[in-house]
Amino acid sequence: EINLMESLTLKGVSQLYAYVEERQKLQCLNTLFAKLEINQSIIFCNSVQRVELLAKKITELGYSCFYIHSRMQQSHRNRVFHDFRRGACRNLVCSDLFTRGIDIQAVNVVINFDFPKTAETYLHRVGRAGRFGHLGLAINLITHEDRFNLYKIEQELGTTIRSIPKVIDRALYVAGAAPEPEEDLDEQ
Amino acid sequence: MERSHHPKPSTQIQDRVHFIFNNLSEANVADRGADIKGLVEPEFYPWLAQYIVVKRVSKEANFHLLYMDFVDAVELPSFTALVLQETYNMIRIILNELASAGSSSSSERASLKNLGAWLGLQTLGRNKPILHRDLALKDLVIIAFEQGPRSLLYVIPFVTKVLEGSRSGRIFRPPNPWLMAILGILKELHLMQKIKLNLQFEITLLCKKFELTIDDIEPSNILRPLSVPRPMSQAM
Repeated sequence: EINLMESLTLKGVSQLYAYVEERQKLQCLNTLFAKLEINQSIIFCNSVQRVELLAKKITELGYSCFYIHSRMQQSHRNRVFHDFRRGACRNLVCSDLFTRGIDIQAVNVVINFDFPKTAETYLHRVGRAGRFGHLGLAINLITHEDRFNLYKIEQELGTTIRSIPKVIDRALYVAGAAPEPEEDLDEQ
Repeated sequence: MERSHHPKPSTQIQDRVHFIFNNLSEANVADRGADIKGLVEPEFYPWLAQYIVVKRVSKEANFHLLYMDFVDAVELPSFTALVLQETYNMIRIILNELASAGSSSSSERASLKNLGAWLGLQTLGRNKPILHRDLALKDLVIIAFEQGPRSLLYVIPFVTKVLEGSRSGRIFRPPNPWLMAILGILKELHLMQKIKLNLQFEITLLCKKFELTIDDIEPSNILRPLSVPRPMSQAM
């Protein structure tokens, strides 16, 4: 078997976390969608039930979203993934079923609505095939129970996940965004 | 050239607009386009147009058709005109920045290409001309040629993207004389020895998209006289 972890990299991905309580997660998601410029996003949950629940909830709130999880028929999964790839919807809620990382150019934001338990899962969710040098943003919603996992995964992957700043520089995740124009445009 | 600062709506309204754009899709674009008039006051339309062009269109080439549908769904000719005006503005700003910068950044070149594709769709693709006073494409190529390879590197991919837009229209596709004249210059450039391979490729690709081959195009004779070194006496 090929070691797939080697082909994935966290290079070019800005990794951030927000410390929240479980009941604040949805509010946090709303804030992210009001502040960021998201081309397409993937939102990960840790169980099939939570995928369906979250997808239902945010669809009601006006999000453009599909969901995909491991208990769906392969043909349905293919269909959803294909439609997502061609941009029929903007956001995909899913469980851990991508075994080779996410390879969709337009996805510039990955959100761990539930923080993964292992470094390998984290890397498969957030890491990408580094060839194209795409920029990306990974946002982790961290609860009290996740705090040791966060540290452990940082150590194992030799990476740093920073606390989310008040304003996120769009140059970190929007391809082709210059660092300065943000002030240019937003400060009068 | 300064980026214009339009009056902005409240943060709350801005956030709702951001949310709409983060969740815009084929399925909801007609409704969202209609909704926006209830959300954003007309005095902020210039801000909205700038947001669409600068933050969305120039970065998200994959959603150009979607954003076109959005602008159409707003159903206000004045808004459509604002978006086009912002497109020209942004193109001028980036062209100026690239012309003055010592080294050209690949991200700015990418934005320029995206804006070019968008402009082509909005104008040529809808049988509307690109007026000389808005953007002189032919002059742009000639000036870039005079300035040298660094200018050609961002001008040629931009121009080919703009022209590509004419495919979805009826008037500006081959054998339209305006188009053929620009293709003629590109062909002339293509024939030159020192031209970079990737630029040659861009030009060949454009022809292919028009279902032409590069040999079908009659080269102009505009650039060659420019490349001959002028005699010293002329400079004195």
